[in-house]
Amino acid sequence: MMRRMTTAVLLLGALSAIPTQAQTEIKGQISTGAEKNAMCIGCHGIAGYQVIFPEQYRVPMISGQSEKYIYNALQAYKKSERKHPTMRAIAVSLSDQDMADLAAFYAHNGKTATSATTPK
Amino acid sequence: MNKLMIATLLLGLSTVTQAGDKIAGEKKAAEKACFSCHGKDYKSPIDPTYPILAGQHEDYLLATLKQYKRANTAEKTAALTRTNAIMGGQAAGLSTKDMEDIAAYLASLPGPLAIQPESRLIKTK
Repeated sequence: MMRRMTTAVLLLGALSAIPTQAQTEIKGQISTGAEKNAMCIGCHGIAGYQVIFPEQYRVPMISGQSEKYIYNALQAYKKSERKHPTMRAIAVSLSDQDMADLAAFYAHNGKTATSATTPK
Repeated sequence: MNKLMIATLLLGLSTVTQAGDKIAGEKKAAEKACFSCHGKDYKSPIDPTYPILAGQHEDYLLATLKQYKRANTAEKTAALTRTNAIMGGQAAGLSTKDMEDIAAYLASLPGPLAIQPESRLIKTK
């Protein structure tokens, strides 16, 4: 009986720890992200910029993209789940907080600027 | 002279213009139910972890679809692959033509994605 109760209490404790963890998720700061994007603008800030290695295509437009998607993409590059060599090299140098800040900045970047250019 | 300039311009443009058929792409995207995750307008994904696709560069979208397909095929050793349980399955059944068409369709849609040029050397304020 006692043991069962202990298990129940432990389980409850474990379950209640889950939402707490979700609450401590890193929050990105748009203004901080704006100061951390020096390595991004050389490709993603140039209209029509193409990457040529290892495949040739225009680098994706990231201003206005989903914040969580950008964050996950950077994490995936860091863990080599996404393979682009340039993006991996950059992502390994970023902390979780850096990624969250950059994601927040780029997700909102399209919404505030007035001179959006989307060349086709 | 003018004709030559136009021809040269067109040639230059063709390096970034794909051969995808938007109308066929719209049909194929509907058939594959891409909207069920990426949203009916392809700019309102049902979950924030899914990307906005509407208006994204056509060649990037095509490269991405190919990378998803490659991850599950004999081409696995090729340069780039991208792994995702859902997208891997979705791309597996697509031909190169299907991928070109879907990319052309999605790129043609209006969306919030943009390039925001900025220069650290020119003060705008």
